Amino acid sequence: MTRNDIKDLILEIIEDIDDEAEFDNLDPDQPLRDQLDLDSMDFLDIVMELRKRHKLQIPEEDYPQLATLNSCTNYLEPLLKEA
Amino acid sequence: MQASFVVIGGGLSGLAAAIRLARYNENVLVLERHSRVGGLNSYYYRNNRLFETGLHAITNYADKAAKHAPLNKLLRQLKISRDEIGFHQQISSEIKFPETSLLFSNEFDELQQQIKDKFPAESDNFQRLVRYIDEADPFREQEYRSTRTVLSSFLDDRLLVNMLLCPVLYYGSSWENDIDFKQFVIMFRSLYQEGLFRPAGTIKNLLDLLVGKLNHYGGTLKLGTGVRNIISQGEKIIGVTLESGEKILCKHLVSTIGLDETRLLLGRKKDNPDDRRLSFVESIFQVDRQALNTLPGDRTCIFYSKKEDFRFEQPEIPVCYDSGVISLPFNFQDLQSGKDSIEVRTTHLANYQQWFKAAEDSTKYDEMKSTHGLRACTEVEPIIGGFSDHIVFSDFFTPLTVERFTGKHGGAIYGSPRKVSDGSIGYDNLVLAGTDQGFLGIIGSMLSGVSMVNKHILSKL
Repeated sequence: MTRNDIKDLILEIIEDIDDEAEFDNLDPDQPLRDQLDLDSMDFLDIVMELRKRHKLQIPEEDYPQLATLNSCTNYLEPLLKEA
Repeated sequence: MQASFVVIGGGLSGLAAAIRLARYNENVLVLERHSRVGGLNSYYYRNNRLFETGLHAITNYADKAAKHAPLNKLLRQLKISRDEIGFHQQISSEIKFPETSLLFSNEFDELQQQIKDKFPAESDNFQRLVRYIDEADPFREQEYRSTRTVLSSFLDDRLLVNMLLCPVLYYGSSWENDIDFKQFVIMFRSLYQEGLFRPAGTIKNLLDLLVGKLNHYGGTLKLGTGVRNIISQGEKIIGVTLESGEKILCKHLVSTIGLDETRLLLGRKKDNPDDRRLSFVESIFQVDRQALNTLPGDRTCIFYSKKEDFRFEQPEIPVCYDSGVISLPFNFQDLQSGKDSIEVRTTHLANYQQWFKAAEDSTKYDEMKSTHGLRACTEVEPIIGGFSDHIVFSDFFTPLTVERFTGKHGGAIYGSPRKVSDGSIGYDNLVLAGTDQGFLGIIGSMLSGVSMVNKHILSKL
């Protein structure tokens, strides 16, 4: 997956959790949770969807690395290289 | 047989827990002892129609825009759309004491205004109390705190303390005359600040929806499948033995049947056998349409006490009518179906032991049932108006009925006075969810199933 594919994947997962999520003004370096008004339960679902769709095991201590769209992409890029 | 995840109990918390597990995992199995799901909130057929058990009204009403309200959180977690439920808000409810009454609705301002009008000296104190409740974090681990003591530190008028407590205790206290302040905060928000609603259909429609979700995600539900014991090895759960003798091995176990009920399956003793567990009786009166001429058309629930000194404790008689809840489930906004079959429901505190003793002689038990069924009607008629001439059908649940159909020891619908808020009872792969985890009501019990599975299982996989 390219970096753009990974970004699309993340946004697609978020849209599936909250169909009213607005991505137009999303700053890729600001926390997703604040910008999209996600709570910790929604956030867990992003991790769970990644696990289900791409068999990714993301340990709880790595969750902070998924905070922004860019940090998510950085974290997932090596893991989804072959995907 | 093997399953990755076993959930004991197909009530609302068990179904919600199982849907969460099945959404992200394979091999999820729900074991329900009865032939029907729902636990405390189920249904049955009599007189050619469906009767709900338990459901008066659902707390935690929230508009769609309140994204982080418990109701909307829960729906997102289970991937249920609001349209699949259909929301009918309450009209108004009343707390009725001998000297005065307070109305509340899904607009919290109404209760604040009522307190200003009826207890002018307490209005500012009540505002301070509300601010204190708004700032409280009921999900932080904390020792039991008496709500009476907290309320009395803000409010001088004991009558107002009793009146505010009455609906909260009736809708969810497993303690006599009081409730843990953490739970009070949750209940205050869900009952007074958010408010009451009913789904468009019956509880059956809601349960069918949940079972449908479970199946959609590949989970399995086994009805009529009781668990005889939980097999453990040290602090690890290996599986369960069914009442049929069959063994099911599992990696994770979620128990929603209650703290003591779970401990007994583990071969351990009850946590505290001397705990007094509160039990109730419930009457259902199906009445004809003419009763609408006399019954109130604008009250959804009435929480009453005939005495200023409201007691919420196990009575020394089979049923105590000094206080109770009267539910008029046809009084929700725009609820068309409700008008076809009008019901009056009443709930009163009961003495489990006396019903248990009476049951040794089935004639005596049946006699007691019919006496108290009629008595409930005459006790509440002075409050809501006459309806006895219009009764088409009536039924009466004793604490034994509740125990038989829900498995709750002592017929205690709100479970043990001891709550395990983090859901762990000393095993690596066993989580307690539901009543004794500490969340209450239909929305609360489902959120309990969801949050315990999120916290202890999904985030650790």
